[in-house]
Amino acid sequence: MGLSFDWKGVMTGEPLRWLASGLVTTCAVTVCAGILATVLAVVFVALRISSNPLAKYSAMGAISAFRNTPLLVQLLFWYFAAYGTLPPGARLWIMDDHPWALLPGGVTILTPEFIASTWGLGVFSAAFIAEEIRSGLLAVPSGQREAAASQGLGPWTILRRVLLPQAIGNAFEPVVGQYLNLMKLSSLACSIGLAEITYQVRQVESYNSHALEAFAVGTVLYLGLALVLERILNLAKPGRFAAKPGRFAAKPRLFAAKPRQLPKRPKRDGSKESSHAV
Amino acid sequence: MPFDFTVIARNLDYLLWGRTASGEIGGLLLTVAMAVESGIIALVLGIALALVAWRWSGWVRRILLALADLVRGVPLIFVIFWIYFLIPALFGSSVPNSRSVVIALAWFSSAAVLYSTLSGLLAIPRGQYEAGIASGLGPGRVLWSILLPQAIRNLIPSFIGLFVSLIKDTSLAFIVNVPELTYVSSQVNNRTQVYPTEIFLFAGVVYYLLCEGLTLAANSLASASRRTGKTAAKSR
Repeated sequence: MGLSFDWKGVMTGEPLRWLASGLVTTCAVTVCAGILATVLAVVFVALRISSNPLAKYSAMGAISAFRNTPLLVQLLFWYFAAYGTLPPGARLWIMDDHPWALLPGGVTILTPEFIASTWGLGVFSAAFIAEEIRSGLLAVPSGQREAAASQGLGPWTILRRVLLPQAIGNAFEPVVGQYLNLMKLSSLACSIGLAEITYQVRQVESYNSHALEAFAVGTVLYLGLALVLERILNLAKPGRFAAKPGRFAAKPRLFAAKPRQLPKRPKRDGSKESSHAV
Repeated sequence: MPFDFTVIARNLDYLLWGRTASGEIGGLLLTVAMAVESGIIALVLGIALALVAWRWSGWVRRILLALADLVRGVPLIFVIFWIYFLIPALFGSSVPNSRSVVIALAWFSSAAVLYSTLSGLLAIPRGQYEAGIASGLGPGRVLWSILLPQAIRNLIPSFIGLFVSLIKDTSLAFIVNVPELTYVSSQVNNRTQVYPTEIFLFAGVVYYLLCEGLTLAANSLASASRRTGKTAAKSR
């Protein structure tokens, strides 16, 4: 056994500063890509279950493409191929100094690497989250949609107020798993030069060859981040506050509060639509 | 922006086979070889661990699941790094990079196989086990001849899904300079400089065809076997 540990080489001076800024970068890219993924996932789901064949099939194609190719290849594509197609003005603006984009530890979130990583991670995770939400939607009884349609709600309101909340409730655990995955997969961004934890760990390793110590610190950081992120996301768990009446008291009023004229006929045949669209 | 896909045609041999002709396997061939090899190891190891975890449901199962959580809780890159640096430190001799990636992938995936196989075994109605015991079989025999075959049949779609992620995960070998498809693509990109779109699109399409083709083939096989299973049941 040739194992010996010297923590001073990792936990002091330059290496410590690098690892700290790597931690900030990983957190920043996870948060930014997570928000992007959430927005895009809702868009994907809305397109995927729409009755317009063009929207539906393009969403299916995009989801399938992002799910069936390695994230690493996608990141290389966004960074080396797609980033260059941005207008030169935009690229110059990104390269400028932006004091507002500076995080503690000298981390700036307005760099080509950060933007490509955020976009790549966001789109990739959105495809997976969208599929989880869709399987959650499949588990919502079709009567829910029909009942909402018969109350005179439009398709978008039905999705946002009736179907999505239930779908997210059904798919909550897998969706949280996808966000945790996003955090772990941000480690791949080191391959396009984003200075996050993995990048800094390798920098420490090549700086003073304290490989095992640096990897141990990186491993602990990722495990700790996963625990913290899981805690935070579980705060949003549906039904967590259900025991406190005041908080969701507004919910039953959802339909009662806004009385609407019932249309003479429902706009769409809900049962038929739900059978093929969802 | 004009695209010039002749760059793919010019480098096609290198992208598909790498330097296989001169004895160093590479390109798409290496991607497939690494996926198959680590897939087989992960399947055998994961099922074996699941059998152990099923048989001894107390602390043995808890330790195995905790280890699996640990392996899956860190990024795959870190599993690769650990194998890559720990094996020389522990055994004094280094292994080729592609070996350590295969070991890391197998280890990482076997944790997932362990999880799904165990849940597949636990999903089988208790009566099956009791009927087996009542027929005079030992617990190990019941597990091997009655529970496992049923569980495996239900688990095939999930194993296919795991293998598809395994194919995609082999791209991480890029980071430790193993000349598989992603690495040779980026090599060609560095050499030609001006065709990143064409090259990475090509790599993406190849991975897509591999993964999606596998999924489609598995699905049609599964539905075919379901159909024959149904007719067999009817004729009985």
